[in-house]
Amino acid sequence: MLNLQRMSTEDGPGIRTTVFLKGCSLECTWCHNPESVESATCVAWHESRCSGCIPRENTTGSNGDARPALTPCQDACLKGALTATGGTIHIDHALCSAGNGCNAACTDACPWAALELLGQRRSAADVFDEVVRDLAWYGCSGGGVTVSGGEPSLRPAFTSELLRLCRERGIHTAIDTCGQCTWQALERSTRHADLVLYDLKEIDSARHADFTGRSNHEILRNVLALAQRFREQQRRDSLWIRTPLVPGLTANEENLRGLGEFIAGKLGDVVTRWELLAFNNMAGDKYRRLGNRWELEGVETMAAGELENLQQVAHSCGLDGDKIVVTGPVKVPCDPGGKQTGARTPRPPAAR
Amino acid sequence: MAGSAHATNHREQQPAVPAPRALSPRAQWLRDYYFRGVDREWNNEFSCWTTGTDWDVVYDETTYYIVPETYAFFQPFRSSTLQAARRVDLPDDFWQRGLAERRAWLIREIMVNRLPREILPGDLIAGARFNLLASRCWNREEARRRDAEVNGPRGTRAAIKDFHEHGYGNTGATSGHLLPDYPRVIEHGWGAIHRDLEQRYDALDHAAKNGQPGSQLRAMMTAALMPGELAGKYAGCCRDEARDEADPARRAELENMARNLERVPWLPARNFWEAVQSLWLTHMLVMSDENYPGPGLSFGRVDQYLYPCWRRSIENGMDREFGKEILRCFWVHANTAYDAMIKIGGNQGITSGFGQLITLSGIGAEGVDTTNDLTYAILEVIDEMSPILEPKPSVRLHRGSPNRLLDTVVDMISRSHGSPFLLNFDERSMAGMMREAAEAGYQHLVNEDNVHEYAPVGCLENTMVGNDRSGTVDSNLNLLKAVELALTGGEDLAPAMDAVTGESREISRDGPRTGDAGKFDRWEDFWAAYSRQNEFIVQRCVDLYERTESLRARFSPTPYLSCLVGGCAETATDVTRGGAEINLTTLEGVTFATTVDSLCAIKYLVYDRGLCSMEELTAALRDNWDGHETLQAWARWRAPKYGRDQQEADAMACAVMDLWTDETWKHSTVSTGRRFRPGMLSWNYWVDGGYVMAASADGRPRGRFLSNAICPSNGADTSGPTANVNSVGQALGGRGSDGDWQDYRNSLPNGASHTMSFSPSLLRDAEHREKFKGFLRGYCENGGTALQVNVIDTDTLRDAQLNPGEYRHLLVRVTGYNAYFTSIGRELQDEVIAREAHS
Repeated sequence: MLNLQRMSTEDGPGIRTTVFLKGCSLECTWCHNPESVESATCVAWHESRCSGCIPRENTTGSNGDARPALTPCQDACLKGALTATGGTIHIDHALCSAGNGCNAACTDACPWAALELLGQRRSAADVFDEVVRDLAWYGCSGGGVTVSGGEPSLRPAFTSELLRLCRERGIHTAIDTCGQCTWQALERSTRHADLVLYDLKEIDSARHADFTGRSNHEILRNVLALAQRFREQQRRDSLWIRTPLVPGLTANEENLRGLGEFIAGKLGDVVTRWELLAFNNMAGDKYRRLGNRWELEGVETMAAGELENLQQVAHSCGLDGDKIVVTGPVKVPCDPGGKQTGARTPRPPAAR
Repeated sequence: MAGSAHATNHREQQPAVPAPRALSPRAQWLRDYYFRGVDREWNNEFSCWTTGTDWDVVYDETTYYIVPETYAFFQPFRSSTLQAARRVDLPDDFWQRGLAERRAWLIREIMVNRLPREILPGDLIAGARFNLLASRCWNREEARRRDAEVNGPRGTRAAIKDFHEHGYGNTGATSGHLLPDYPRVIEHGWGAIHRDLEQRYDALDHAAKNGQPGSQLRAMMTAALMPGELAGKYAGCCRDEARDEADPARRAELENMARNLERVPWLPARNFWEAVQSLWLTHMLVMSDENYPGPGLSFGRVDQYLYPCWRRSIENGMDREFGKEILRCFWVHANTAYDAMIKIGGNQGITSGFGQLITLSGIGAEGVDTTNDLTYAILEVIDEMSPILEPKPSVRLHRGSPNRLLDTVVDMISRSHGSPFLLNFDERSMAGMMREAAEAGYQHLVNEDNVHEYAPVGCLENTMVGNDRSGTVDSNLNLLKAVELALTGGEDLAPAMDAVTGESREISRDGPRTGDAGKFDRWEDFWAAYSRQNEFIVQRCVDLYERTESLRARFSPTPYLSCLVGGCAETATDVTRGGAEINLTTLEGVTFATTVDSLCAIKYLVYDRGLCSMEELTAALRDNWDGHETLQAWARWRAPKYGRDQQEADAMACAVMDLWTDETWKHSTVSTGRRFRPGMLSWNYWVDGGYVMAASADGRPRGRFLSNAICPSNGADTSGPTANVNSVGQALGGRGSDGDWQDYRNSLPNGASHTMSFSPSLLRDAEHREKFKGFLRGYCENGGTALQVNVIDTDTLRDAQLNPGEYRHLLVRVTGYNAYFTSIGRELQDEVIAREAHS
C-alpha cells in the first residue's frame, strides 16, 4: 500500500477514503502518481521538509577534516545509498534496498520527517480498521471506500478482501482501475465493489501502446466483460468511465469521438458517468522527488475553448449528456499583478 | 468580549469581500449611513455621567480584566472618563438609598431625561443612544473600600497583571454573556414584570422591606419603569417627525411607530413590528445598565420566540418583504453598539470584540426540528446585509436538520469565502448541558424536557435562556502553564516581562514544589507532578476570580438586567450577587492542544525514545530552542500530535480533558456561590499568549501562537478534516452507552470553539456542495459543539508557500484528487493559487 487519503472528494460519490496501492500495469507518459507505478517499496525525499541539517551542523570533522559529517539519515543507511551535497539529499535507488530486507531506518532517523517510505505491506484487516474510523462520514455523505493505485487489480486478494470487509459494515465500495489485467484478476478485484471507476484513455490501440506501453485490447475486452456482468446482475449504476485529456496525446477530437461512440454503443446502458479529466501540469515535482524527470514537464493546461470543444465532441456521441462530467484546470488569463512575488498582496480596508 | 473572534478575524482577512446585494433603498441608506462612522450627524459614543462627588468613579476596570490589551489604560480611562462626565442633579434622599437603588435611579434618569433621541430617515425601529459610562454611585465609604481592594501593590489591578504576565491567563467578573428573558418581555411586557416585582415587594415583611431585599426590589421596580418611559419619549419623537413629514407613506410609518412605542415594551407585543421594537429597546437598555456595549449580550433563538408574532402578522397581511425590512433596520441598530469607542478605537470602533449572537433553527420539543419561515427570512437578511458584523448569527444544526436549511447554509458559505456564521451542533451541545445539570445539581432546571431550549452566547458559549448567568468568558486559564511548572518543579521557565515597559521580572516560584523533573524515572512520575500543578493553576485562577467577583457583588449591581434573569426577583438578589437560578461561572481552558502535544512530546522524547534527558529538554526550552534545532524537529515533526484521529495522542487529550475539567467542577465562588464549569473558548488569547508563554515541549518557540480552543495545533492535523473532527469529538468524550444526552458525551457544557479551513474548490459545484453537506451531517455524528468554517483565500495560500510548516494540514483540490498544499511542488502551488484567484 502506498498511502491512504481520508476525506477524498474526487474518487466517487460522497466523502471517501481512497486507498492507494503500489504497482501499476501501465506506464502512462502523463502519470500523476509516479510513486505508485513501481510495485517495489522506495524512499522519497521531501525537499520542503528537509532542514538542510547538512550545512547547518558541523560541516567539517572535529580534526579539521574537510569531509562533511554524516547527516542522521546517512548515518542510518546501511547501504550508503544517500549522498548529501549542497543541501540536497540524493538517493541512489540502485543501492537502496528499502522494502527488500531493509527497514528504512533512514526515514526513522530524520527528525524533520523529510524522508518518506513509499509502500508498506499491510493486511486488509489492518487497513479496514483505519478506514472504518470514518464510517459516520460515509453514511452521512453517501460516500465510502475507493481502492486506487497504482492498479488494484494487481492485488486482487487484498482488494477483494478489503472491499468485502467494508461491504459487511455497510460501507459503499469502489475501485479505480485501468483495466489492464486478466479478466480473472479484474473479476476478483471488483467482486465486492459497488462501483467501478474504469479508465479508458485512448481508443486507438497503437497510440495507446505508445502512451502507456500496452495496447488497449485487454482493457476494452475487460470493460465489455464487466459491462456484461453488470447487465446480467441488472446493475445500472456501477460503472463510471474516466478519460484523462492530455494535450497532444489523448486530448483530440478523434480519440474523444472514438471513445464516446464505444461507450455510447457498447456500454451506454450500464455506464452512469463519463468523466473527462482535464490535464494538470503539476506532477513534475513528484518526479523530481523520486529523482526522475517528467516527460510532460512544461506542457500547459488546456485553454477553456479547447476543453469546451472536446466536451461538445463527447456530447455528440449519443451518450446521455447528463452523464458527461468535465473536471480539472483550464488555462486562465493571468493577471499581471497577480504574479507570484512571494510577498503578500496588500489588503483593502476591513469589511465594509 | 466574546465576539466570535475567529469568524470576524477571518472575515477581516478576506481581500475580496462580497458587496451587499438586493438591498432596499431604505436599508441601503441606513447601512451606508452607519458606515460613515464619525461623519454621521450623531453617534452612540459612550457618554459619561457623574454624581459630582469628589470620589466618584465612572469607569469600572474590573469588567475589562479579561482584556489584557487594556491593562495599561485603566488609570487614564478612569481619569479621562470622569473628566468628561456631565453632572446629574440628584434627588435629596439619593445617598440614603441602597446602592442598587441609586444606580437604577441614575440610569433611568439619564436614559429617559438626559440623552438625546433621534429617528433616522426611513428607520422602522426606535432606540438610538444607549452607550453610557455612568457614575458607579458609590458613597465615600464604598468608594474608599472598593479602591483599597483594587489599587496598590496588593490590589486586584496588580494581581491580574501579574497573573497575565506570568502566563496563567486572565480572569475577572465580566458583563454581558447571557441570554436575558426577552421572550417574557415580548409576550407579557414590562408592565407584567413591574406588577410581579410590586407583589413580591408587598409580600416582604417589615424587616425585609427595610433591608437588602426591599432595597433590591425597589431598585428593580425603578429599572422596570425605564423601558416604558423611554418608549413614550420615542413615541413623541415619531409624532413630531410625522407632523413635519411631507411623504404620506413615511408619515404613516412614523405614526405606526408611535403607536407601537405607546404600547411596547410595556405591554405584550401583538405583531411582528411591535415584537422587534420591544426586543430592541429592552436589549439596548441592558447595555446601558451594564455600561458595557455588545459583548456577549445575546438574543437567543429569535426565530422561535419572534415566530408567533411573525406568523400572526403574515396572516394579517404583512408583506413578507416588509417584515424583512423591519429586521434590516434592527440589524443596523445592533451595529451601533460599536460606536462606544468610535473615536478612540481603530476602524471607527468596529472590532471583533463584540458579539450579540442570534440563534437560528435547532432541535425543538420531542426532537422535532424547529426551522420555520422566519428562520429563512432572517438568513435572507443576513445574506443581503453581509458583510456586516452584528448581530452575529449562529445556526443550530442536528441530525434532523432539513436539507433546505443545509442547502442555504452551504450556499452562503460557498459564496462568502468563509462562513458568515457559527454552526452550533445540538446533540453534543445538549450533552454538555445535561452533564452540567448532573454535576451542579440543576436537573430541575435543565433536563430532557427543556435542554433543547439552550442557545449560545457571545462566540459559542452554551447557556440556558432567561435564568442563566454562567460567566462564559470570566476565567481564561492557560492549561499549558501546568506543564511548564511540572518541568521546573514550580517556577517560571523563563522570566516574565512587563507588557508596557518590556522590563524582565525575576523568576518567581509560585507553584507547588513537585520536585526535580530530571529525577523522574517514569512517565507516570511526570504526569503526577503535572496533575499537582494543574490543581495549583486552577486554584490560583479561582482565587483571583473570587476577588473580582466579590467586588462586583458588593459594588456593581445591575438592577435592570436582574429584572430579566429568572431567580433574581424571586430571591430579591441582584444577578451580580448570584441571583440567577442557574448560577455558574465558566473556566475556559486555553492552549489545550499545545498542552496535549507538549505532554506527548515529553513522553516521546524523554521516556519512549530516550532522545534526550529531561534536563536537556528543559535547557532547550529555556534557550527558546535556539541551538537545539534537531531536538525541536523531533518534538515538532515526529512526536505524536492531537488531531490525527490516532490513538496515542487522542488518549492523552482525553486524559488532559478529564484532569482539568474534574478539577474545575470542584470549585465555587465564595461570595456568590457560583459553581465553576469548564469550556474552551480561547477568544484571541491563544495569539497574545504565544508571546507571553515560554517555549513549549511540542516544538513551539515563544512567539508562535498557541493552539486555539479545542482545535489541533496549527498544522498538526495531517490526516485530514474528518480525522481532525473525530479527534475533537473524542476529546469531548465521544459517544457511548453512558452518554449525557442519548449516547453523546460532552465534558464541556460551555462548548468548545473549533475552526477549520477549506479550499473554495471543495465547494465549487452542486455535487461538491452536496459533499460538504455530508461533511456537516458527519460533524453532527462525530464532532464537537461548534464549528466555524473558513474557506481559504489566496493570501493564505501565499502565506502557506512562505511558511509551509504552519500549513501542513491545508487541503487543496488539485484535480481529480485533493492534496496537501505544502506537499506539492512550487509550480503546482502557484497554479493552485492562480486558479483560486480566478475562480
